[in-house]
Amino acid sequence: MTATVLDSAERLKDILDRLVAKSEADYYNPYQLFQWPDTLPQEQYWMSPELMSVHGTEVGAELTEEQLHKLSKWESVNFYSLNVHGIRELITEVIARIHTKEFKLTSEYFHHIIGEENEHMWFFARFCNQYGGKIYPDLTFKFDQASTDGPAAHFLVFARLLLFEEIVDFFNKRMGEDERLDPTIRKVNAIHHQDESRHVAFGRQIVSLLWKDLAAKSDESELEAVRAYLKAYLRRSLESLVNPAAFRDAGIPEPYKARNRVLADPAHADLDRAILKRSVKFLVAEGILLTESIDA
Amino acid sequence: MTQSAVDFIIDYLLAKRPDLTSIDLDLDLIENRILDSLGFVNFLYVVEEHTGTEISLDDVTPEDFRTVRSIAKRFFDGADVG
Repeated sequence: MTATVLDSAERLKDILDRLVAKSEADYYNPYQLFQWPDTLPQEQYWMSPELMSVHGTEVGAELTEEQLHKLSKWESVNFYSLNVHGIRELITEVIARIHTKEFKLTSEYFHHIIGEENEHMWFFARFCNQYGGKIYPDLTFKFDQASTDGPAAHFLVFARLLLFEEIVDFFNKRMGEDERLDPTIRKVNAIHHQDESRHVAFGRQIVSLLWKDLAAKSDESELEAVRAYLKAYLRRSLESLVNPAAFRDAGIPEPYKARNRVLADPAHADLDRAILKRSVKFLVAEGILLTESIDA
Repeated sequence: MTQSAVDFIIDYLLAKRPDLTSIDLDLDLIENRILDSLGFVNFLYVVEEHTGTEISLDDVTPEDFRTVRSIAKRFFDGADVG
């Protein structure tokens, strides 16, 4: 039973107590925290150039500084749009489990996560709408109504949420400290990084416990299917950072071809490896993945 | 058209599923996991690039992607697929 796995986890209880206390101590009013100037300067980077999808690639080398500035704006709007959609999924899944028998122990902290994530979604959406005039649409298409119950469903939900948060945090941490970026951009990223460090700490604990529960109840072929899904999820998450609509909005011709060239470029693969380094090490250390490769 | 649109769709899907040697026009792509949620976006981009039209997910349903025939009819101007 998942209830047993979580309820008997003394370490998780300690961590939850500390995280709840920290959430309460760090509480802020996001609606009053940001200045939101009417516009942001167009002739500069909106995203650390090293974090742009085209960094070091042949496509990037063909772009002028002006085009790179434009692309950095639209890739940052894409990044915050992905945050909006990812957070909506996170909140939905956590709400589906809060105050259920299996997640009794974590329900108190779930309230903090839901509240904090709602606020993050608000400031990311505000940024997109105010400075990009839109949120890029969610291109997730659910063909298969996956089960929301049982150890595999619980594990996959929290694993997806953790990996999503860790990928996002790779960017937030760096952009929150990047003096080349406008103060509003730095602040949005820095604030999110500050809150996400708590969520990631929680995510690693619960994913580790839910994996042990799943592994004890599943045969090797079932675990292999879960591994294959997680690797596909990671590939899909990285690919979503390269959006042809952002290339189009930046005025780059043949945006689909540009996207394909970027995805095939070894320099882009280096960025992907850097983004996933921390997450993949964790997954392998826990025995969730057997190797650090996320290839199919 | 066009048969070439059908061939194009089938060739793309077969490249993603090397374990298959052919895909019938009416094979259920979702049931057979030839199209799934995680692989969907790349397929969407391929169709957009090929048709030159951005597709809004507000305007489509899973049924539009159920078979090669339904994809051809919905996104390739009622391609002549019978």
